[in-house]
Amino acid sequence: MSILTQRPPGAGDPLPNPAIDLADFDDPDTPGDGRTTIPDPGTVATGPRRRLRQATLDERFNLVGALIAGVALATALFGWITPMTGSVGWVVVAFLSFLGFYVLLTALRAERQEVADKVMTALMVSAGILLFGALIFVVAYTLVRGREALVNLNFFTQTMELAGPLDPLELGGIVHAIVGTLIQISIALAITIPLGITTAVFLNEVGGRFARFVRTIADAMTALPSIVAGLFVYAAIIQLITHQRSGFAAAMAITVMMLPIVIRASDVVLRLVAGNLREAAYALGSSRWRTVWHVVLPTARSGLVTAVILGTARGIGETSPVLLTSGVTAVMNVNPFSGPMISLPLQVFDFVKSPEPNMVARGFGTAAVLLLLVLTLFAVARVIGGRGPGQLSTRQRRAATSASFDDLKRMSRRSAPAPLPPVTVPDAPVPITPPFTAPPQSRETSP
Amino acid sequence: MVTFTAGTTTVGIMLAVGLFLSIRASDALSVSGFAFLTEQQWSPETQTFGIAAILAGTVSIALIAMCVGVPLSLGTALLISDVAGGRLRGLLVTLVDLMAAVPSVVFGLWGLFFLQGNVIPVAQWISTYFGWIPLFRVADDAGTALTDASAFTSSAFIAGIVVGLMVVPTQTSVMREAFSQAPVGEREAALALGSSRWGMIRTVVIPFGRGGIIGGTMLGLGRALGETIAVYMIISPIFTINGELLKTGTNSVSALIALRYGEASEFGLSALMAAGLVLFIITLVVNFTASSIVARSRSGAETD
Amino acid sequence: MTPRIRLIRFIMASFAFLLLILAGSGGLQPQSAHADSWIPVSGTGSTWSQNALDQWRKNVAANYGMTINYSGVGSSAGRRDFLQGTVDFAVSEIPFQSKPEDGSAAEVPATGFAYMPIVAGGTSFMYNLKIGGKKVTNLRLGGETVTKIFTGVITNWNDPQIAADNPGLAMPDRAIVPVVRSDGSGSTAQFTLWMSKQYPALWSSFCIAVKRAAGCGLTSQYPTFGGAKAQNGSLGVAGYVGQDYGEGAITYVEYSYALKSGFPVAKVLNAAGYYVEPTASSVAVALLKAQINTTAGSPDYLTQILDGVYNNADNRTYPLSSYSYMIVPTEVAGIFTAAKGATLGAFTNYMLCEGQQQAAALGYSPLPMNLVLAGFDQIKKIPGADVSGVDINSCNNPTFKAGDSPANNQLAVSAPAPADCDKQGPNQCTTGTAGAPADTAVTGTGTGGSASGAVTPAAVVTGSAVATGDAAVYDANGALVSGTSALSGSAVSTPFTVADSGIGPQQLLMLFAALLLIAAIVLPPFVSKRLRRPVDPHS
Repeated sequence: MSILTQRPPGAGDPLPNPAIDLADFDDPDTPGDGRTTIPDPGTVATGPRRRLRQATLDERFNLVGALIAGVALATALFGWITPMTGSVGWVVVAFLSFLGFYVLLTALRAERQEVADKVMTALMVSAGILLFGALIFVVAYTLVRGREALVNLNFFTQTMELAGPLDPLELGGIVHAIVGTLIQISIALAITIPLGITTAVFLNEVGGRFARFVRTIADAMTALPSIVAGLFVYAAIIQLITHQRSGFAAAMAITVMMLPIVIRASDVVLRLVAGNLREAAYALGSSRWRTVWHVVLPTARSGLVTAVILGTARGIGETSPVLLTSGVTAVMNVNPFSGPMISLPLQVFDFVKSPEPNMVARGFGTAAVLLLLVLTLFAVARVIGGRGPGQLSTRQRRAATSASFDDLKRMSRRSAPAPLPPVTVPDAPVPITPPFTAPPQSRETSP
Repeated sequence: MVTFTAGTTTVGIMLAVGLFLSIRASDALSVSGFAFLTEQQWSPETQTFGIAAILAGTVSIALIAMCVGVPLSLGTALLISDVAGGRLRGLLVTLVDLMAAVPSVVFGLWGLFFLQGNVIPVAQWISTYFGWIPLFRVADDAGTALTDASAFTSSAFIAGIVVGLMVVPTQTSVMREAFSQAPVGEREAALALGSSRWGMIRTVVIPFGRGGIIGGTMLGLGRALGETIAVYMIISPIFTINGELLKTGTNSVSALIALRYGEASEFGLSALMAAGLVLFIITLVVNFTASSIVARSRSGAETD
Repeated sequence: MTPRIRLIRFIMASFAFLLLILAGSGGLQPQSAHADSWIPVSGTGSTWSQNALDQWRKNVAANYGMTINYSGVGSSAGRRDFLQGTVDFAVSEIPFQSKPEDGSAAEVPATGFAYMPIVAGGTSFMYNLKIGGKKVTNLRLGGETVTKIFTGVITNWNDPQIAADNPGLAMPDRAIVPVVRSDGSGSTAQFTLWMSKQYPALWSSFCIAVKRAAGCGLTSQYPTFGGAKAQNGSLGVAGYVGQDYGEGAITYVEYSYALKSGFPVAKVLNAAGYYVEPTASSVAVALLKAQINTTAGSPDYLTQILDGVYNNADNRTYPLSSYSYMIVPTEVAGIFTAAKGATLGAFTNYMLCEGQQQAAALGYSPLPMNLVLAGFDQIKKIPGADVSGVDINSCNNPTFKAGDSPANNQLAVSAPAPADCDKQGPNQCTTGTAGAPADTAVTGTGTGGSASGAVTPAAVVTGSAVATGDAAVYDANGALVSGTSALSGSAVSTPFTVADSGIGPQQLLMLFAALLLIAAIVLPPFVSKRLRRPVDPHS
């Protein structure tokens, strides 16, 4: 969608691809022609809108009551009646009794179906709470343990070249590891994204026996122990070719580990691209390559971004492949082909091994920096690539509208002397925006 | 054709790893032969080494991780795709992605210094009241039940919980992506027919996303089987098969490689490669089974 | 231009931007004037020596602008890297193995090399033991007792042999949990070498018990046995012992870990009949008797002979003392050049002299004069090394001063002698050790004593063990070592309730009470619903 609407049809494209329209129709969120219109209610008075999503007072009481009862029962059991101990045990008992009470309370008023619905929702929400609770806990733990290092600005601007184990936290930093991580992951991504997505396209669009073989191999590789990826690169690249540990070797190890993850995750999302989109593209005569480039990839874009993020997340935070390949250094090295180049996870591993409390604090600080770095990268990737097909930013929408408007003017100019244009020029579907009201008209001109 | 070249390159890299593993492993395998699969001891110094105990530990850790991870990630994925809405959903998606990037060494430290101390009472409780199930029993060689806290440290159970938490984000991402692709038409149809939200999820979203569930689980299993640093920091490696999951001592192939790599001789390294090769083959079999199931499921089929 | 390409470009651009910023800020650091006259040198090896090498690396970078890269990947990996020529130097506790135990190829470097002693240390035994809820800080162990603990012969703290070593302590009935290293390590190698040399019979029967060859020598991988726990890294073993659940555990670890995590270490009996703590000076005194194999044809040429150290008759000796080597190239080959040799020579010279000043603060022990002299001989073999500065009289090593000789030097004269209460016998010092300086009350049949001699046994302070959280710990030099310990579990543990496994009447009663409670909560609504139903079935 976004591709065609920004480009005047016919400019460099002999056959403008209309397949994108279908994606548009598929997506209920897109403002477009397929929008449901509400018939005029006429003189019938409409009452206040009923709120479907809001929980009733009864439901809220059930939830809150069950929560309180669960906590109270667990506390009673732990505090007075049985000799159970431990905070984790308390949480488990409290949660189980909460569920029990919740079922009971809901069952008093509702039917089996609704009880199941309520309980499953409660379970899903608790899974979420548990997971995010654990995440927040781990992150908070990292930040608390690393706070002494993080409060010093020099931690982000200096290298460890002039800081040893006995030096205070006011000296030395990890900028060399940050740079190392960025360089290594950039090299790995530069290889993994094209290779991984192309392979996933191959698996889905080309098919055949060889593709099945490739898929089997790629699937098997997702479980390749990351340390084996490191060993492989150590023997294949360091021992045979470079004879020294380097950032490039580490990037290769990360690549070997990331590639199957990206392939597999992209494969899954590409497989979910509705077949009718592809068929429509082929039916309109576009080549396989054009179908992939203009239909399949844009439709799966947010999924592909997730795939790449998954791979990056794994590659950027894993210690074992770089353990054997990158080497440890305390100085800034921006040349990936020569000399050791440390990355953040390895720096964490290296720091926490030290008996010095300052070094351990630096280790946790480094882990926190890694988390923040990853968060930034992901936020950027999500903002740029995470939007679903057809969802445009305000600027893109404006650009698309003006392009379509130009097209319309051009077409109407052309169609003025000749009422029926000889070539079928399907318009690009255009989101309706206030200044522009022509689409229905243009639609009629191209049957 | 470009895509074909990409596919070939991928296979080339993968086969190179497999081939390299096999070649480096052949030294050790030619010495041990088939005993490699049945021997429990790991002592390349005396030429008696085998993978039986290590593999049992690896599998038990991975299975516990799956028991922890799959329900959690399934629930969270459904929460994100069908319960949460608007800004909250975007926030949760970002959080899951972020969690996938928490370095494993941080999880290891957290598991070692925080989780272990807090989970031991739970493990003791389980073994006290469910000790009659052989898996949950914690007993010494003579069969008397152990209650000392030190009998519960560094167990497969604790390592499994930590690894389970580590693989959840990966699994959640894949599952969520599959669930969010479930056709809106069918969802609305189910709701219009009077189904509750859970009814809709059960009849539309889950069947549609089955491929994603299996795919995500397998991806997580792969990571759980191959997880190195966190397991390395938590377990106390032993070289006998330990069927008592709560009891101290277990093992894992990748942790073994990481532990022994630094001090291994050439021959020891070859033995470690052989262990890596066996793990590789096992995951190949598991994943092959999974992909054939995914291929048969309805996931991604045409619906409207 | 498609969105995907734009995305990639954007990411690349932001990376480049970040790099620029970071590189810019990195470049602001002060650069030494000599930065260009030294060539970066890199090495791998022992994790045990890493802490010292990190500090020295920093010092030479700050003072001379040298770049030394060191990666603690393990001794064997370091030797392998040296064999394969991927590093300039390696650090190891074990020499090259001419006859590896497992029959793999002998480790014979293709190029010339030499062993240079770099840093010494004692294998110390950190433990977590309580008597009546009070932390024990003055445990004493004989060599044989230690060996028996770590070979599974002694399994309980109230073993008569331990009690005999500790007349001042009423040893509790508690299982000993020996914690060993699960990864291959230099500490394990040093410890097992000592056991195999000093107690060959015990060690040999242990070897057979764990299915290794009888009379197996040192190993870098401790075999797992009986009730032992294996944890990775010094952090892992020290962390395990430091936790609440680590009560009853004992491990071998660097002295600095015990110092920094607020835990005591065992005093070990030496040949002179004194129980000695592994302080920097007691290790250095022991190593005055270290010998070096000077038989040129021997496969172990230039490696350490420690028998004299283990049985050093000086009463200040800590018997489990040893040192690690740096393996340096003696000819130009592969990636090693004469220019690198100049850097390496200057670095090693710094290391043997000035660098030893900080050894004690780092938890190691400074090399004594005999080993420094041996190291000097090796520097002279490094191609390209500038030997003009290699002079024993201008060497600023803390154990000797200009004009000293190996037979008569500052260390031998000034090292403190152990207190009388540390002598084998019924009198046991109550003074704490390592990171736990608090005294321990006399609970056994013996009498107490204080290392400082100021406190009489009757007036022993029996207050709680030092809380590691805030108490400042000072090292031998009086420098503040730790305020808040990053490693520590709290030293004051809460008593642990041990669940009773049997189901007796009490348990049944509890179960009944719990069920009753649940029934009291659950039944009323159910019953009311039942009662209501017949009245109005449609509600």
